[in-house]
Amino acid sequence: MPARIPEPSRRPLLAVGLGAATVAGVAGALAWRWWHRSERAEISPTRGLRAGAAVLSLAVLLDSGIEHYRGSFENPAMVIAPTLALATLGMTAVEDRAAPYVFGAALAVGAAGVAFHSYNIGKRAGGFDMLNLFYAAPLGAPAALSLAGLFGLAAEHPDVAKPERVAPVAALALLGTAAEAGLLHFRGAFQNPFMFAPVTLPPIAAAATAASGISPLVAKAARPLLLGTALLGIAGPILHAYGIHRNMGGWRNWSQMILQGPPLPAPPAFLGIALAALGALPALERTR
Amino acid sequence: MFERITEPRARDGRAPDVFRPGAWMPMRCHADEEEVDFAIVGTGAGGGTLAAKLAEAGFSVVAFDAGPFWRPLEDFASDENAQGDLYWTDERITGGADPIQLGSNNSGKGVGGSTVHYAMVALRFRPEWFKARSKLGYARDWPLSFDELEPYYEEAEESLKISGPVHYPWGRRRRRYPRRAHPMNASALVLARGAERIGIPWSPVPLATLSAPRGMAHPCVYRGFCIYGCSTNAKQSVLVTFIPRAIRAGAEIRDQAMVGRIEMGKNGRATGLLYHRCGVWHRQKARHVVVAGYSIETPRLLLNSACAQFPNGLANDNGLVGTHLMIHSGPGVWGEMDEEIRSYKAPPSLAVTEHWNYHDEGKDFHGGYAFMSGGPLPGGWAHTLIGARGLWGMALRQEMTRFNRMAGLRIVGETEPKPHNRVELADETDQYGLRIPRVTFSFSDNDRRLMEHSIGSMRAVLEAAGARNLWSDRDSSHLLGSCRMGDDPEDSVTNADGRTWTIPNLWVCDGSLFPTSGGVNPSLTIQALACRIGDRIAAMAKRGELGR
Repeated sequence: MPARIPEPSRRPLLAVGLGAATVAGVAGALAWRWWHRSERAEISPTRGLRAGAAVLSLAVLLDSGIEHYRGSFENPAMVIAPTLALATLGMTAVEDRAAPYVFGAALAVGAAGVAFHSYNIGKRAGGFDMLNLFYAAPLGAPAALSLAGLFGLAAEHPDVAKPERVAPVAALALLGTAAEAGLLHFRGAFQNPFMFAPVTLPPIAAAATAASGISPLVAKAARPLLLGTALLGIAGPILHAYGIHRNMGGWRNWSQMILQGPPLPAPPAFLGIALAALGALPALERTR
Repeated sequence: MFERITEPRARDGRAPDVFRPGAWMPMRCHADEEEVDFAIVGTGAGGGTLAAKLAEAGFSVVAFDAGPFWRPLEDFASDENAQGDLYWTDERITGGADPIQLGSNNSGKGVGGSTVHYAMVALRFRPEWFKARSKLGYARDWPLSFDELEPYYEEAEESLKISGPVHYPWGRRRRRYPRRAHPMNASALVLARGAERIGIPWSPVPLATLSAPRGMAHPCVYRGFCIYGCSTNAKQSVLVTFIPRAIRAGAEIRDQAMVGRIEMGKNGRATGLLYHRCGVWHRQKARHVVVAGYSIETPRLLLNSACAQFPNGLANDNGLVGTHLMIHSGPGVWGEMDEEIRSYKAPPSLAVTEHWNYHDEGKDFHGGYAFMSGGPLPGGWAHTLIGARGLWGMALRQEMTRFNRMAGLRIVGETEPKPHNRVELADETDQYGLRIPRVTFSFSDNDRRLMEHSIGSMRAVLEAAGARNLWSDRDSSHLLGSCRMGDDPEDSVTNADGRTWTIPNLWVCDGSLFPTSGGVNPSLTIQALACRIGDRIAAMAKRGELGR
């Protein structure tokens, strides 16, 4: 085979990548400044967890809302995920006595969702083959709701959710999210080189975060990696918006292509988890 | 297609840019008297692919097509009947015990050829088929082996960004398909479920339609009009893959140009060809002529080019041009499901079993067949009901109300190469004054046993999947052979490179080269052959062997 087969047509790939990175950088910097507006010292672990839970809730609300709408809410239980995500989002914004119950319910429903999606995959022809993992109910997605609930609960119990405990949980969550992005980007045959980003940076960030309890030095190293992961969570929807543009009819055909194209609200899961981990870092950077 | 396109589009230094409505791409043009390196007759799977390969290798190339240079984004309508212009429907005589229905299932007219309306199924031949006589004991051996063609299968698959399963259950261990398989539609799931229940493997079909964006081409939106022309460019037809590559590399595509005759010089070499464009006959000079008009037009042109030196037609000293024509038999079995199927959604063939291509135990026939899930559109379905079951009037209307619950399977079945199945010239002439082809075809006893066996297999799968009220119909698809390649000049028309034995600068590059038909759709093998022939020609030119 010749070294390189000429392409019949091209797209301005580099410009899009640089554009997305710039917009994400500016948006991230503005958000960071806003988040720090009254801050003298640093983010508390509680604030990080709560912000993480809020971002994850928003992502699940939109993602499950769109995807379950795509599935015509065929099973009435499909309304539970977006409804509960809306409730957890509310609980992260206000102080309410119901919060622990809502977060607990999200934790449980997310787990039930994973079980339900697994059942759906298993009963299809081919079972747990790649085709069904690609196109049937996504196996890992409901775990994001559990994670929102878990982070919410953790924020309520700072005595239990110590930074050295939050860090490995966040690391595991990052790995899971990277695995899901990897599966779906593999489905897209990594046709755009930027699709490799969420399967390279977050796993490295996860490793550093998991090990950040070992020494303050590692924790310090984890910080830029987590900031990069958070930035990916912002750049993702921008790149996915470009992905929608590359589908038939693009944004002029938005009502179909938001469903057929890459999922807009999925990448912010990286932002949510990174925020929770970033909240835990200051304490770990100081230890010993 | 809302209006018939009669004027050439590719001329005056530009050709349609198929990716942008109304846009053009620059194209190098040659004068008729300029002697080009290669004049290629046909721009489909064979000719279009070869045009790109030769132009990229640095040769000057002009490729002719009798039909229009389509702009898929603008020309193709979501209308089964309006899209009939995609087929070669010029006058032809078809006969024999089992006359072939010519047109939609086997002949295209227009730049890109039949790949503009093919079902995009991109399967490789079973490796043993290349040595069918020595290894399986029937038909003939090809003059090349699977090993020789394998890198070119890979090249063709990569060039078309084939969307295929992560693991394909049959054939040799292979590199991963460039793109992932498409999701199954309900019709494909019927095959999958039935196959699992009777214990045979099934797989998503590797397809030449995008499952992820490629440059300016969008991924498939499962519109389902694939065999009536893809209006989204997701289908990786030659028109949107090799043709733009060819033009960019310096080839000229001449649309609406019907080639009527290959001209011969006194030294026994071809000197160029006569073609009809804009109402006038032109003469293009060329150092080499490649015929890529598929299994009917290729032998027709060779026979129509008979001259004093070659009174039986070109490359026809042994009388084999036009003989050993093959098709793929295509009986189908249909049944009614309890659930909605709506099989017209998405590409027509999404699931396949090649079980009976690779397992020979218990067969009462030679050869093999694959079957795939079916996906007729309503017009096509009505035709099937009228043709196969004779329904009409109220009975037809009532049956049509069950359309959304019908599921069906259809085979691509191997047929034997027989000398009496052939293309000849009739005495009648067409609109250009050229003698029209007479096509004769009859199934052999072996072909019939294969079809009966396949109907039993398809019934078993459909019944296992829960289908009721089963019935079967007969159809056929593809054309193969008629200018077969071989090792022996006495027993074939060309060598393994598609070079005719008798005229050293006359080549054939299309499905007519096939010595046997195999039980899979032929396009990928034609394109692999074209890629190989392109590389072989470039290598021969380097060694100075082209001029001999």
